[in-house]
Amino acid sequence: MDGLSLQWYQEFFNDSALRDSLFASLEIATVTMIVGTILGTMLAIGLVRSRAKWSPGANILMLVPLVVPEIVAGISALLIFSQVGLTLSIWTVVLAHITFSISYVTVVVRARLASMGTETEEAAMDLGATRWGSVRLVLLPGLWPAIVAAGLLTFALSFDDFVLSFFTTGEDVQPLPVRIWSAIRFGPSPTINAIGTLMMVVSISAIGLALLIPRLFGRRESGVKVLTAAEGG
Amino acid sequence: MSEAIRLEDVSKSFGEYEAVKDVSLTIEKGEFFSLLGPSGCGKTTTLRMLAGFEIPTEGRILLEGEPVEDVPPYERNVNMVFQSYALFEHLDVADNVAFGLKRKKVAKDEIRKRVEESLELVSLADRAKSHTNELSGGEKQRVALARALVNEPAVLLLDEPLGALDLKLRRQMQVELKQIQREVGITFVYVTHDQEEALAMSDRIAVMSDGEVVQCGVPEEVYEHPAEAFVAGFIGVSNLMEGIVQGKDKVKLASGQSVKAPLPEGCDKGEKVQLSVRPEKITLDDFERGMVTLEGTVAERVYQGVNTQVTISLGDGASVVALEQQTYRASADDRWEPGAKVKLGWHPDHCLVLR
Amino acid sequence: MRADYWTRFLIPPGVWLLALFAFPLMLVLALSLGYVDDLGRAVYGTDWSNYAEAFNPTYLPVLIRSVGYAAATVALCLLIGYPIAYYIARFGGRYRYALIAALVVPFFVNYLVRTYAWVALLSDEGLVNNFLVNLGLTDRGIQMINTPWAVIGGLTYGYLIFMILPVYASLERMSPSVIEAGKDLYGRPFRTFLHVTLPQTKQGILAGSVLVFLPAVGDFVSAQLLGGPDTYMVGNLIQDQFFAANNWPFGAALTVVMMLFLSIWMIGYLRSASRDARGAAI
Ligand SMILES: Nc1ncnc2c1ncn2[C@@H]1O[C@H](COP(=O)(O)OP(=O)(O)OP(=O)(O)O)[C@@H](O)[C@H]1O
Ligand SMILES: [Mg+2]
Repeated sequence: MDGLSLQWYQEFFNDSALRDSLFASLEIATVTMIVGTILGTMLAIGLVRSRAKWSPGANILMLVPLVVPEIVAGISALLIFSQVGLTLSIWTVVLAHITFSISYVTVVVRARLASMGTETEEAAMDLGATRWGSVRLVLLPGLWPAIVAAGLLTFALSFDDFVLSFFTTGEDVQPLPVRIWSAIRFGPSPTINAIGTLMMVVSISAIGLALLIPRLFGRRESGVKVLTAAEGG
Repeated sequence: MSEAIRLEDVSKSFGEYEAVKDVSLTIEKGEFFSLLGPSGCGKTTTLRMLAGFEIPTEGRILLEGEPVEDVPPYERNVNMVFQSYALFEHLDVADNVAFGLKRKKVAKDEIRKRVEESLELVSLADRAKSHTNELSGGEKQRVALARALVNEPAVLLLDEPLGALDLKLRRQMQVELKQIQREVGITFVYVTHDQEEALAMSDRIAVMSDGEVVQCGVPEEVYEHPAEAFVAGFIGVSNLMEGIVQGKDKVKLASGQSVKAPLPEGCDKGEKVQLSVRPEKITLDDFERGMVTLEGTVAERVYQGVNTQVTISLGDGASVVALEQQTYRASADDRWEPGAKVKLGWHPDHCLVLR
Repeated sequence: MRADYWTRFLIPPGVWLLALFAFPLMLVLALSLGYVDDLGRAVYGTDWSNYAEAFNPTYLPVLIRSVGYAAATVALCLLIGYPIAYYIARFGGRYRYALIAALVVPFFVNYLVRTYAWVALLSDEGLVNNFLVNLGLTDRGIQMINTPWAVIGGLTYGYLIFMILPVYASLERMSPSVIEAGKDLYGRPFRTFLHVTLPQTKQGILAGSVLVFLPAVGDFVSAQLLGGPDTYMVGNLIQDQFFAANNWPFGAALTVVMMLFLSIWMIGYLRSASRDARGAAI
């Protein structure tokens, strides 16, 4: 049995197209994680702190992607790309993934930010840090566990995503889930199980890290808390 | 002495609500100055304007003679100790204390030296490498203090710094804070709603009510000569008796008796006033010449250890509280039983007429 | 502090979401009024015929079916998910997080792969039918794939975790003393559950239902792999317009109609979510 299933892994790594797909998916997830986490964290900070009149509007704009079915997101992304004449490729997939990761990051980071208060930042400014200095030296380090957890969550979501990728990918190198889709539709193939297991390992490692890392920062709360704080409100 | 801070007609509004109204104060260099008042009276808001976190709606703030209303907090030579400590959780004790010096780009060796000194000052030298969440409340308070003092600010602002500590630790920290202040000689502006704390520690006190400074003076003055009924009632316990001005230095109490009392300038006959007498200034059944004396009935007696508190009804619903020291005279417990007639008296000098 | 400093943090993500989310949604709306020209290209216009077609007897049943399947999925998820969440929250003790983790892990297997596993199990020559035939219970096997139940089953398996997690969170927040008080009042466990626990977890049930319902309506994977033309859902229809029939305007119109079906749910959820956010910020 073992020998048999190992054979499919071997097949997987010998198939250069599949290998390219794996690397494409990892690349997409990594870029999405970085850009999405930066933008989502900025949005969380702005939403909690800004008194701008249109800030509630931005809040709604942030929440809508969480409730819109993915197929709608996929279609709108496809339309905008064809409208502006962008050739579909893994970069259009990245753009679509970032758009949807922003909201997840914001929800997770905002939950922690709301519980932090402003006094430590004021203390930093009182001690001579400029406003940006207080953000960099006090606010961001305080948010760090939530930011890391949100980033890894984003990585897992992007790596695992099928629908958005399906609508926005080009023909040349396709993300792994899209490749699985074509494989399934062409007929049964044991390679799929090998790919599935491999993907699961990647996703679970990302989520496992998301749960563990806040602990490594020496905080008392666990990652489960950081991630479910968003859920619990 | 020269002045450290001057507030000129400073007001602060949050939308419609005026939290601080027309406050003018001068605080001298090296002074331990307290802002005292009930919750919500605008103490924190005043302090935050000094620190630069709030910009006054009106008025001027001068720090060592320079106007600073529009100077951001990070460019003001004042530092603050927050009620919640506001320590940086991701840094250890030494790095917390070094934070301000690093922002000023002080040389490394110098930083190390000064951090050591100020941790020494607050007796925390051995906790330099501790994580902030391993510290007790009192220790956190000391770190917050060291973190501010190490910068040698012109003025140190403290917002109810002992508010979160238990009573015993509070008393101990009061003494320590006062010692530290004498040692470093920095001007302290201290916010508290605890009148005993303010009286014990301050060189001068400003009593605030509803956004206004109602009296400013040395502790004795604020305690002995409250300018208003509010101050008399807020600082210490005071007997307030209603009365009507009868003539020169004569007041007729609502309970019927006429007493001698020093009237303030410009009191007219027939004007309604309040007489204020501290409980500890009232003596029972034992008088000296020149005292005001009244008769009453003992309503209640509470033994308090050092003192005995006697409540005396003057008739017509009016009553006063007297505190009798446990001297040889007061030790017999058959005296001042409830229902007994009693004579009470006080020196006219110890009685204050409030309008 | 001065408000304008923090507003600058809103601008880059705000602009991104406007350009790549809000504006494209408007494009979908605009294109739904367009048509396909003689060269087969999608052209914008002011043509309502796509909507008329969406509601004609060929397509309307598909829309209704999608909502029906999704509703059935919500019901099944609740029936399966609530007891699981309840037992973990009440009796899991210190193993609660481990149990939740054990439940969550399988859901990290890609949705496609999980659905594909159902195909292997349920197809006419699949494991289940093989087993039944070998036992001699039937001679030709039972048709399980290509039935509505296969599609609903796939959806349920796909989205179950979105029900379990919010319900679990709401049960977790409930203090045990409330249940004790309920026992005093109502005595029997079932009545306690009915009058105390259930109302207290209403928030979680609602959140879970929305989180399952919304993606289920738009799903096309389950119907594609586990169903056939008779069990097509609106997602399949939409996807066909974009990748097979090449009628983008009609696909856009179907998308808008689907969104209309979902809008009550979405708005309800958005309102409670933005209320929560305001509460959390204070
Ligand atoms: N940012 C703000 N926006 C609106 N109102 C405020 C703000 N800050 C303070 N206030 C109001 O101003 C008044 C004075 O507040 P302040 O915090 O100065 O009181 P305080 O004397 O420090 O009271 P406490 O002893 O309770 O700390 C209060 O009624 C408060 O509600
Ligand atoms: Mg205050």
